[in-house]
Parts: sequence; C-alpha cells; structure tokens
Amino acid sequence: MKKLFTIALAFAAMSSAAWAETIKVGVVGPFSGPFALQGKNFKAGIDAWFALNGNKVGGNDIQIVYRDVPQADPARSKALAQELVVREGVQYLAGFYFTPDAMAATALLQQANVPMVVMNAATSAIVAASPQVLRTSFTTWQTTTPIAKVAKDQGVTKVITLVSDYGPGIDAETAFKTAFAKEGGQVVESVRMPLSTNDFAPLMQRIKDSGAQGLFTFLPSGPPTLAFVKAFNDNGLKAAGVKFYATGDLTQESDLPALGEAGLGLQTTFHYAVSHDSPENKAFVAAAEKAIGNPAELSFPAVGAFDGMYVISKMIEATGGKQDAKKAVEAVKGLSWISPRGPVTIDAESRHITENIYLREVAKDANGKYYNKEIQTFEKQGDPGLAFVKK
Amino acid sequence: MQTVMSIAIDALAYGMVLFVISIGLSVTMGLMRVVNLAHGAFAMIGGYLASYAARDLGLGYAAGVLVAIIGTVIIAVPIERFLYRRIYGAPELTQVLMTIGITFCVIGITNFAFGPTLKTIPLPPSLQGSLDLGFRSIATHRIFAIASGLVVAALLWFLIEKTAFGIKIRAAVDNAAMTAALGVRTEIVYAVSFAVAIGLAALGGVLGAELLPVEPYYALRYMVTFLVVVSVGGAGSIPGALIASLLLGAIDTTGRYLAPEYGEFFFYLAVILIVTLFPRGLAGRLK
Amino acid sequence: MAVPMAHQPKPTLSIGKRFTDNGLLGVLAILIIGLLGYFLVPNNLALLTQIVAIALLVLSIDLVTGYCGVATLGHAALFGAGAYAAGIAAAHFGVTEPLTMTLIGLVGGALAGLVSGLVILRAHGLAQLVLSIAVIHLFHEAANKASGWTGGSDGLSAIMPDPIFGMFEFDLWGRTAYVYALLLLAVVFVALRLLVRSPFGMLARGVREDPIRIAAMGASAHSVVLRMYVISGAVAGIGGALSAISTQVVGLDSLSFTLSAEALVMLVLGGVGSLYGALIGTVVFMLFEDTLSAANPFHWLTIVGALLIAVVLFAPKGLYGTGLAVAGRLKRRPS
Repeated sequence: MKKLFTIALAFAAMSSAAWAETIKVGVVGPFSGPFALQGKNFKAGIDAWFALNGNKVGGNDIQIVYRDVPQADPARSKALAQELVVREGVQYLAGFYFTPDAMAATALLQQANVPMVVMNAATSAIVAASPQVLRTSFTTWQTTTPIAKVAKDQGVTKVITLVSDYGPGIDAETAFKTAFAKEGGQVVESVRMPLSTNDFAPLMQRIKDSGAQGLFTFLPSGPPTLAFVKAFNDNGLKAAGVKFYATGDLTQESDLPALGEAGLGLQTTFHYAVSHDSPENKAFVAAAEKAIGNPAELSFPAVGAFDGMYVISKMIEATGGKQDAKKAVEAVKGLSWISPRGPVTIDAESRHITENIYLREVAKDANGKYYNKEIQTFEKQGDPGLAFVKK
Repeated sequence: MQTVMSIAIDALAYGMVLFVISIGLSVTMGLMRVVNLAHGAFAMIGGYLASYAARDLGLGYAAGVLVAIIGTVIIAVPIERFLYRRIYGAPELTQVLMTIGITFCVIGITNFAFGPTLKTIPLPPSLQGSLDLGFRSIATHRIFAIASGLVVAALLWFLIEKTAFGIKIRAAVDNAAMTAALGVRTEIVYAVSFAVAIGLAALGGVLGAELLPVEPYYALRYMVTFLVVVSVGGAGSIPGALIASLLLGAIDTTGRYLAPEYGEFFFYLAVILIVTLFPRGLAGRLK
Repeated sequence: MAVPMAHQPKPTLSIGKRFTDNGLLGVLAILIIGLLGYFLVPNNLALLTQIVAIALLVLSIDLVTGYCGVATLGHAALFGAGAYAAGIAAAHFGVTEPLTMTLIGLVGGALAGLVSGLVILRAHGLAQLVLSIAVIHLFHEAANKASGWTGGSDGLSAIMPDPIFGMFEFDLWGRTAYVYALLLLAVVFVALRLLVRSPFGMLARGVREDPIRIAAMGASAHSVVLRMYVISGAVAGIGGALSAISTQVVGLDSLSFTLSAEALVMLVLGGVGSLYGALIGTVVFMLFEDTLSAANPFHWLTIVGALLIAVVLFAPKGLYGTGLAVAGRLKRRPS
C-alpha cells in the first residue's frame, strides 16, 4: 500500500514538473449564482492586467485556473483550493470573495508552500490566519472608519446604525461605533437586520422613532441595497433631512443604474471608484471594460484582482518562477506602487494593503450616467480593525 | 397609535405585494397540482421583459406590463407543451426535480443574456414619489400594488367561482377523467389555467419589482417566500392566499419593527404555528 | 409521493442474487469504486471525500423520504447539526480524536433529527414541506446568532483533528480523510441495509404505503417515522462530522436551505427509495457539477438544469430505478 502512495505521489509530482515553465494561479470566486457579478469582476481585473502587461513574467507564462464557489461555502472552497494545489499544481492561490472561503483555505498554505492573495474578502482577521496571506482589497474597518469622521464634520452627533446581521455587517457596526465614539459622536441605536429582509419600510419607522440625525448602514451589494435606499426615500426620511452614511459597497457602480435618481447624493467612503481620475485608472478602466463586455458591470472587485495580479507578478519575479512561498511573500512586504485606485503599499507587518480612502458622492455626468464622484481623500489608511482582532 | 397605524399600512402594502406575486403559484399548485418551483423564474422573465420594453425600448410602464404578461405566456407555452405536460400527475418529487431544472436553466440563460446586474422597471411619473398621509408618507407605487392586488383577487375569484370556465377548472381538479368523459377538453382547460398562472406570475414580477428587484437569481431567492404564502393560505384558494399574504405580511412587518434581529425567528415560528394549526392551509380547497 | 419500490426480493433466489440482496455486493462495490477513485484521481481526494459526506446526507434523506414518504427540504439541519457538534467539540472543548468527533456528530445529528422530526411530522404533503423549510431557516438563524460558538457567517475554523489511532495524519492530499470516509460509508451502508430489511424497516415502508392500515394493525405510524427520523439524523450527523473533520471548517452553508434542496435533488436524480439510488445520485450529480463548473465556472448551471430535465423526461424513476427497469426488460426479452 505504501508503495502505491509513493507511486501516486511521484506521478502527481511529475505531472506538475512537466508544466514547470507555466506558472499556474488558482482563482477561487463566485462565478455563478447570486454573486456572479463579483466573480465576473475578478476575471475582468485579471484579464485587464494581462491585456496591459502580457501574460509572461521573466520568461514564465502565467496561467489562471478558475474555480467556482457560488456562495460562502468554506468546505467547498477548501476542497477546491486543495484540488488546485494538488492536482493543478498552482503556485499561487488568489481571489476569495467571502471571508469564510478565504479562512478555510488558509489552513492549507503552509503545507502546500503556496502564498494566497486575497482579492476581496474584507474581514481583518484573515491576514492573521497565516503568514502567507496577502490582501489587495480593503477591510470593512478600513472603509468604515473615515465615514464616522465625515458624519462628525457635517455636524451630526446622533446616529443610528442598521447593518445586515452577518459577519461583515457586525464588523461594520463595531467599526463605526468605535470610530464615531472617538470623534465624540453618539450611536443612539444599533439595529441588525436579517439578511433575508425584503421590505425595509418597518425599519424606516425605527429610524424615525430613534430621533437620530443620521444613519449608518451596511448591506451586501445587490437587491437589498436597492430596496433599502428606495425605502429610505419613499418613507420620507430623505425629505426629512436624515443623513445617509455607508461604505462604498452600497453604491457599487454596477448597482448605480438600478438605483437611478434615488441614489443621487448618497455619500459613501471606499477605496476605489471607477471614476477615479488618474492615468493609471484610465488605462485600467479601458482594459477592464473591454474584458467585462458591459462597462456598466465594472466595479471594485476588479481593482482588487488587478492589483493582486501585480503582487503575484512581483512574487514570480522575486522567486524566478520557483515555488517558494516564504521568499515570495517576503519579497513583496513593503512593496509600494501606483494602483488604479491611487498610491498603495503592502504593509510589511500586516501584509494588508495601505491605501487612500475616498469620500464620494453619487452624481450624474453629462451623459446621464451615474457615478461616484470623489470629494475628499483620507490618505494612507491602514487597517484599524487588525488591532481589534481578539487573541 | 401613530406607530401602530404606520406599521399596519406597511404590513398591508407588503402583504399585497406578496399576494400579487404568489397567487399564480397558488393556481398551479392548487388547481393543477404541480409543485411549480419555477414560478419565480416566470415572474423574473416577466420582470426582464418589462424592464426591456419600458427602459430600453422606452415604451412606458403600461406597455411594459402588457409586454411582460404576453411575452412570458408566449415563452411558457412551449415549456408547458413539452415539459409540464410530462409531469401532470407525476409524484411531487419528480415535479420538484423538473421545475428546479427549469429554474436553473432560466437563471443560467438570463445571466448569460442580460448579465448579472439589477434591472429596474422605470415607473411612470404618476406612480413615482410618495403620498402624504398626514402622519407618514407612503410610496405611490405601493398604493398601486395594493389596488392591483385587490383587482386581481376579485377577477380571479369571479373567474373561478362564477364563470363556466371556472366550473370546468374545478371539475377537472376534482376528477379529470370524469370531466374528460363529460366532453370537457381537459388539456385545454389545463393549458389555459397554466397560461393564467404564468400571466399572474409575470404581473407579480413587474408589480413587485420595486420591492424584489429583478436579477438572475430572483428565480430562487424568493421561492421559499412564495411557497410559504401559498401553503399557509391553502393551495388553490384565492381568499386563502389573500388572508395568508396579509397575515404573513403583518407578522413579518411587526417582527421587523419590534425586534429586527430576531425577525427571522419570529416569522418562521409563526409559520410553524399556523401550519400546525391549519395543516390544510387557512382556507384549503384540497381534500 | 408514491414512488414504487424499485427493488423487490423474489421468493426464488439464485446464489448470485442472494449475494446481491445481502448488500455485500453493495459494500464491495463501494470499496472497489472508492479505491478506483483513489488511484484514478489521487490528486482530487478532497472532492471525493466531500462526495462521501454528502452521500451520507442523501442516504439519510432517503431513509425518511424514500422509506417513510416524508417530504423535506430541510434535511441539511441534521447534517449541519452533526458538523457543528463535531466542530464545536474540537474547537471549544479540545475533543480532537476523529472517532470521538464522529460519534459526537452522530449524537448531534440524532438530536437534531428528533427536534426537527417532532416539528415536521405534524403535517403532510405541502404543509410538511413548508414546516421543513421553516425548521432549516430556524437552525440556520440560530447558528448565525450563536456566533460565539459557531463563528457565525465567518465559519467555525480552528478544527484540528488528531491523527486517526495516533497513526494516520490528515494530510494535504486528503488520503487519510478519504480512506476514513470510505470505511465510514461502508459501515453505515451495511447498517442501513440491515435496517431497511429489518421488521422495523418493513414497518416504515408500510407507513409510506398505507399509514391507516399500519395504525389498524396496532402500530403507531407517527412513532415509527419519528424513530426513523432520529436514525436518519444519526446518519446525516456522521456525514456532517466527516465534513468537519476532513475540511477542518464548518460554515453556515452546512445548515442551509440550498444544501437541503441540492441533496434532495441528488436523491431524486438517483432514485428514491433505494440506498443504491441515493449513492448513485450523489456521485453522478457531484462529479457532473464539479467537472462542469471547472470546465466553465461561469455558465455551468444551465447544463445542470438541462440534466435534471433530461432525467425527468428519460429516466423518471431516477437513474437507478430506470436503469433497473431497463435491465429487467432486457433480461426478460427472449434471446
């Protein structure tokens, strides 16, 4: 029996050795199901990177192998990551839209000798799970903290928070409360809404009753966002002058056409707006729009994927295409570059990306297209959430 | 008192939307005895057609609704002819398998053809904005949905209880073989009922779009809600579905106002209670 | 729900036939196919292990749906309960011995089976389906709320099972996990085989065919089905524990409506009311899904849908049931 193990091992080793000059990158993300749009953005970001940089790094071809996890499903994510490492022989794992999916795969990294580049999942603790994890997206804490300051600066002292009742929502609630208390504001009430909420009208009544001057909210992108904003407007809260604060997940560019007039004037803080004015971004957006097909579908996961590819290419350069996760990760610690979203750095200690966070307002351009207009910049924001992670 | 009134209005509005979307399913499940898990898929097709007609072609809301209903029925006709006819009278689990298969296909094709983004159906100016009730405001389109729900309920009730066709439907439901022997073309009765159910699904998809936005995963996302409404009301009963929608709307709305973090518990515990007390639905026609 | 039993023992049995009916052939087939899988795809054992875990869930649904005629779209509650029981034991109480974890999963699943059985068996038909949906949502929401214990939507990680018997470690290749999974499946299969052929199993089948007559015979239909529910929970719980041990993580998806519905689809695909059908349905569905979603991660759902429709059209008794019928027809044809 033992002999057979060895044969199987040798066979597998051979099959990966035969591909040595092609470096495979396994990308796990939601490519079908309710979050297919986000997965599509991963692919668009990666394709854009290839379009602008070619698919060769130092003589090595890069090949992407996609695997689909339609909804948060850590068991499936881990099985697929394992398959990518063992069968496909990938040297890098990347993607990961949901936190549990990323968390589950971190357990493999050390034994597999593979670095992992998180292109979206936004819970602070992921980078702490393994020294081989890097992240090129954002954390909920990172994007939430500045909006507390914005609220205070606009003279709002009493805020009610409404978040979806799941990990990221609770993260956002804690982050906002912490940051707003620091600014000297008061969170008068915190409401957690079940993820399956369709009708937000009764919650609007809660906001009214609470007497808050403003509300902070966090919802998963997609249908709930639209229903929430419509309920806010339809129930007369907008007219009553209640201020609306949220992170940019809520005004994701792909949701803006559906929000339409209802979205105008919404203020959110986020790390990336498709409208960001810089030559790097123009080039990126042009390539990514071409890759995704329908320009209206392009939004933030694409930039996380694009920068993730940048980091991976730097790791391949540093290791000369040899599989050496430790060396690869060491090589990109402290790496700084100009991303489409602005100047960024991989923080040497946390391996998370330090970036500008922008305050944006939904506006309408000359062609009648809705976009996030950047109106204020919070420079070089790290992740305040990591300090908050227990243990 | 104001708060109570306010919640009551929200509950009524939500309940009526639930009714409009679910009633088509009640017809297929109660009258045709098909566990039609693809109901949401047809509602979604209606939503997409309306969105395409009203937004991309600029035909306006009323035309959008018409296009949605007619278009969805046209799409459904071959599906009924080639797929549904094979599962009339089949075991429930077989029906589940078939209709889930259809739903998957519709989701996949929609995702491919229209992309994964949300689609909206632009409202005409007369339905935009909100109406001030003095102590609160309510969106005009909700009032429209309430009114449409009442009209649909009345028309359906009339069709089934008061017309010759309704008699044929009820006869076919009770004993298809006997009805056929009496000279009624049951397959035509079935086909027409199916078309009516699909038309209602499409209408519901369009009217409910402000609350349940149209996107490819719509077909599965709200399936459970529809199923719950229909079975609490009793499949096939128009008044049953109406009462169930209003009751569940009230429970959901109150729960979400009083204790949003436990809203889910509140809702499903209530469902268990109601179903246990009325195992054939609030006004079940079955057996 | 009147799915005819695909497999009826006949009074006169050849030796080969008797061999089949003892289920030994089934166990042999499981082991042979399982080992074939081991050597044919030695680098995708994680998937194969996952298939075994889900197969246990599908078998467990078959016990209540196929043998007792209960309609449920909430059976993942039992699977998830087993997974969380084993996972929590490991992550919070340091019980990391795999066999013990499996046992804890079994008990957790059985308890969940008792609870959901008590609720679901209060109605029939459509109402029953809705009760099962309510149950799975309540379980899901409870696990989401108790995030201190379950990790909530972030999932329960930090499950580090010991090597089995202190000798076989759970490795990156997933070999130990897979072999363990196969053995578990074989043991469970034998046990279920004995169960469904026992007087109790016959009684359960009788309940499905005609509950009134069973009641007239003096047996309580309700208590028979409830007992079957507890057994079914134990089986699903083992599957859940296996999933927790092999993936070392438990997510809320293991308590989801989606998983319940998918598992039911696999069962109907393979053929309701036979253990082989459950196994075949799981393997075919999951391999099909995996191959398709790897080949085209973006549009595979459409083809899965088409497969389900095709099965209803061309194999209405499920793959196994229709396969048997076809085989029978071929045999009867004079040569």
